[in-house]
Amino acid sequence: MYVVLLRLALGLYSVGLLHSVLTVLNKKHMFFRPALGAVIAGFVCHVLSIVLRGMEAQYLPITQRYEAFSFYGALVAAGFLIAYAKYRISPLSVFVFPLIFVMTFIANLFYNPPPPIPGILRSNWIYIHIPLVFLGFTALFIAFTAAVMYLLQERELKSKHPTIFHDRLPSLELSDDLAYKSLAIGFPLITLGIISGALWAQAVAGLSWAKDIKVLLSFFTWFVYLLLIHYRLIAGWRGKKAAYLAIVGFIGVLLTFLAASPLGSGFHSFYQ
Amino acid sequence: MQLAIVGLSHKTAPVEVREKLAFNDDALRAALITLIKKENITEAMILSTCNRVEVVAEGSDDRLIQDFLCEYHQIPKDTVAKHLYSFRNTEAIRHVFRVTSSLDSMMIGEPQILGQVKEAYRIASDAGTVGMHLSALMNRAFAVAKKVRSETGISKSAVSISYAAVELAKKIFGTLNGKTVMIIGASKMGELAAKHLKSAGVSSVLVTNRTFERAVELAKVFEGAAVPFEHFTDHIDRADIVISSTGAPHFIITKPMGEEVIHRRKNKPVFFIDIAVPRDIDPTVNQIDNAFLYDIDDLQQVVDANLKERMSEANRAEEIIDHEVQAFCTRMQSREVVPTIVQLKDSLEKLRRDEIERHRKLLKDLPPEQAIDQITTSLINKILHQPIAELKAAAHDPQGPDIVEIVRKLFNVKPQ
Repeated sequence: MYVVLLRLALGLYSVGLLHSVLTVLNKKHMFFRPALGAVIAGFVCHVLSIVLRGMEAQYLPITQRYEAFSFYGALVAAGFLIAYAKYRISPLSVFVFPLIFVMTFIANLFYNPPPPIPGILRSNWIYIHIPLVFLGFTALFIAFTAAVMYLLQERELKSKHPTIFHDRLPSLELSDDLAYKSLAIGFPLITLGIISGALWAQAVAGLSWAKDIKVLLSFFTWFVYLLLIHYRLIAGWRGKKAAYLAIVGFIGVLLTFLAASPLGSGFHSFYQ
Repeated sequence: MQLAIVGLSHKTAPVEVREKLAFNDDALRAALITLIKKENITEAMILSTCNRVEVVAEGSDDRLIQDFLCEYHQIPKDTVAKHLYSFRNTEAIRHVFRVTSSLDSMMIGEPQILGQVKEAYRIASDAGTVGMHLSALMNRAFAVAKKVRSETGISKSAVSISYAAVELAKKIFGTLNGKTVMIIGASKMGELAAKHLKSAGVSSVLVTNRTFERAVELAKVFEGAAVPFEHFTDHIDRADIVISSTGAPHFIITKPMGEEVIHRRKNKPVFFIDIAVPRDIDPTVNQIDNAFLYDIDDLQQVVDANLKERMSEANRAEEIIDHEVQAFCTRMQSREVVPTIVQLKDSLEKLRRDEIERHRKLLKDLPPEQAIDQITTSLINKILHQPIAELKAAAHDPQGPDIVEIVRKLFNVKPQ
């Protein structure tokens, strides 16, 4: 049942993807309303699918690739809907809808029935560590898209040859504000996520978690965001420089998210 | 529906002619009432703006309206005839739709015309010269104008320098509420731009000028504060938007100064608008992060791009209007068919009863065959009286052949 729901969600998300493609190719922004409706409907199916999987497996469904991608896709959708409700920036959808689609699509590729999971993952820490990290990722992705929108609009304004994107993109102040607020939410979340991960590893003795590439990358990423927060608050960085740093930070997030663990410990590799 | 429009606009007549034919608001009502007393005219409306004078009338031909215009304004017909255009029926409907949707305006997409047409319609309604046809037409025209406005971009982007400045400011700051603008140099152009910014939400205005009195004067207009010219650099960092239009021969804001301002503002963005010639602000200020500099040519370039965009959007608007004209014609025709059938039946029925009534006495005296013969002959004469009169009249009318054709078709009479 949850697979059917997830495929249904994927189908609905494809309307969102179509909207993004049309907007970029056609430069018309007429398709947003139906796409938004479809994505909301898809999101509802998606959440139901995750809940059903969780009930069947009797654990938080984020240990397999299938589950992780599905979960992250749903979080990105939720993050977009929250940001849209507050800021009404429809161009954000052009960036976010494809990501939601791709995440859900990958989840569909890796479908497997819930296996029995090993003891290490049967820990309450999993309910804290992974949601915190994923929520943080979602907020930082929104910060990233806001930064991209900022840079595009900034370039348009500086060039003095405004093209059609000029109309569609939000104002600099709005993008900057969205980037900052998402960062202000995302940074504490990944910080807590990393701390909870460290505590979890501590609790399970004998694992050399410091060798885990995901852990190392996450430290690097965390440091970039720390710099960003620092410069924003102390040096009054805003606009372009802050946007570049938010993009570098998100590349770190992506690497962290995608990194398997070739260094042997396997601590963070997906179970199956 | 037999719609006719006669008028002139900025496209066909210079202002000297337009002003001669213009109606002022107080005279409109009386003019409409005079017009509707003319033979055949059943409904009328007059649109008189600085760019056009148009008479829209139902039930008549254009010549009658032309005569009215010349008589009313007491000008010889031959002096204006070459400036007047006239449209009938479908073309008249299209013209009304195009005018109301601002496709026929001097500045395509300008929003005022819709209000002006609405006002003209209201005056005609109040004067009682609007009936079923004009009200259907105008209500549709208002709906079409709304559709064109929302589905195309013809009224979207700014096409004047000062509006372009406002739009750019909005792209930087989002909302202009709570923002401060500084005007350097009290020129007309700067004043105009500041006025637009103020009505777009800018909350405080600083004015500086070489002659301080002029700055004070202008500050009063905007309920702002005047700053002595020698000290304007101390206050410039308070401004989110700086409009410069002094007569200075050299740059009064240099790049280091721009950098200093951004630094003092803790990187909050500044929008510099340089509308002075020669320029007041070093163009390299635009290279500073968070500083955005537009000079008069840059703004003109934005306006030109917007104009081009408008033109291409106007083509889409024309398509919408084509479609709407057709839909409206079809609707009006089907709307008129049913009442016409009913009326036709009723009037012929009345004719028949009258004839029977008139021949009642004959019926008693004559044998039935002869009576029937007489009644039917007289009935045919009565029925044909009007069509024959019209046919004869049509023989002297340039529109004649049409009517002959229609009569042949109606009575199924083939040409020999």
